[in-house]
Amino acid sequence: MNHDRAKMLLPAYADRQTGPLRRFLLGRHIARCPSCLAELETMHAMRTAMRINLPMHRAPPSLAMRIGTALPREAPPSIRWRPMRSGMAGSALAGGLAGIALTVAVTQLSPQPDTLIADVVSDHVRSLMADHLTDVATSDRHTVKPWLSDRLDLSPVVKDFAIEGYPLAGGRLDYVKGHRAAAIVYRRDKHVINLFAFVSDDRSELAPRQLALNGFNVVRWRMDGLSYVAVSDVEASQLLAFARLVMGGP
Amino acid sequence: MPHLDAAFNLARWLTGNTADAEDVVQDAYLRAFRYLDAFRGDNFRVWLLTIVRNSFLDWLKDNRSGRNLFQPAPADLESTDPNPTPEAMLLDRVDGETLSILMARLPAEYREVLILREIEDLSYKDIAAVTGLPAGTVMSRLSRARLALRKAWTENEKKS
Repeated sequence: MNHDRAKMLLPAYADRQTGPLRRFLLGRHIARCPSCLAELETMHAMRTAMRINLPMHRAPPSLAMRIGTALPREAPPSIRWRPMRSGMAGSALAGGLAGIALTVAVTQLSPQPDTLIADVVSDHVRSLMADHLTDVATSDRHTVKPWLSDRLDLSPVVKDFAIEGYPLAGGRLDYVKGHRAAAIVYRRDKHVINLFAFVSDDRSELAPRQLALNGFNVVRWRMDGLSYVAVSDVEASQLLAFARLVMGGP
Repeated sequence: MPHLDAAFNLARWLTGNTADAEDVVQDAYLRAFRYLDAFRGDNFRVWLLTIVRNSFLDWLKDNRSGRNLFQPAPADLESTDPNPTPEAMLLDRVDGETLSILMARLPAEYREVLILREIEDLSYKDIAAVTGLPAGTVMSRLSRARLALRKAWTENEKKS
């Protein structure tokens, strides 16, 4: 690669936005070209300076509350069933909306897997954006489990995994693919994970499978006649670890 | 709220102050909530940042005071290519306050690609999606933005 072309493509090299072949050719040129090497070093120095020294403007805590208040009172059309509202939802929002929601659809579902995943990811995002993460906000599984059982004819896994780093945050009734659902909310650092599960035709056991959609990681599996789907922006490995904890037993 | 810090940081760098940034972000999240069903992209953060930028542009239209924020960059802003080697060392020592001031003086079209690339670590493709730039233009826009910041930094060093 000649110098002029290499110099023009240097930013893409520094930004790691080239294909492997071009990257190889550029790397070979840079190794022999002091001027390109110096230029590359300057770009790296500048990035380092910006990342270290440029103030990261964090959203004021009041902003999340303010947006939550300004969101429409009625849920959007696709949320057809929001029977409970809890005063704790606001504090959950103020708490950074860190949580994991485990949603269990009561009724039978037989949708296309990809539309189901798209739906639960959408539900996950909605639960974060609307002022409605939990209907019952508590880390006590002896409160969350009966609360859900009283309203839904099933007994999903509800357990506090605080020691493992996934504390229980509460529960919520939700709606998945047109079916009533229960959501159990957990926390993982500052992240939110939605884990959806539902009764399916196929009641056979299914080992966890990993997917990704819209920047969210998804893990789904089937046990004890229920299908579960976990959704979050935590790393895939952490989500899988959480799924395995849930699978560990009631 | 997902990605609220990223959204706020971009809005803060575009508007230049906290109060306006909060207005822009609130407007963006209300829009995002309204059109959530329309989201079928592959990256929720990129989608949100795109809405933040659109909200910012609408905010500009409604705010006379902000109107000069998004003027095209003057042609000579990045014309001289400063000697990079001593600069690389200087950049390591730049303090946050000075860097903020220099960034704030850049045209918004430069500021936004710098934030999206260096802070948000977005790919060229994602930067194109957020800014509406043709994909092939992102690299050259970034290059000009970097040169403009370097030039501003070098001149600032000479003065002090």
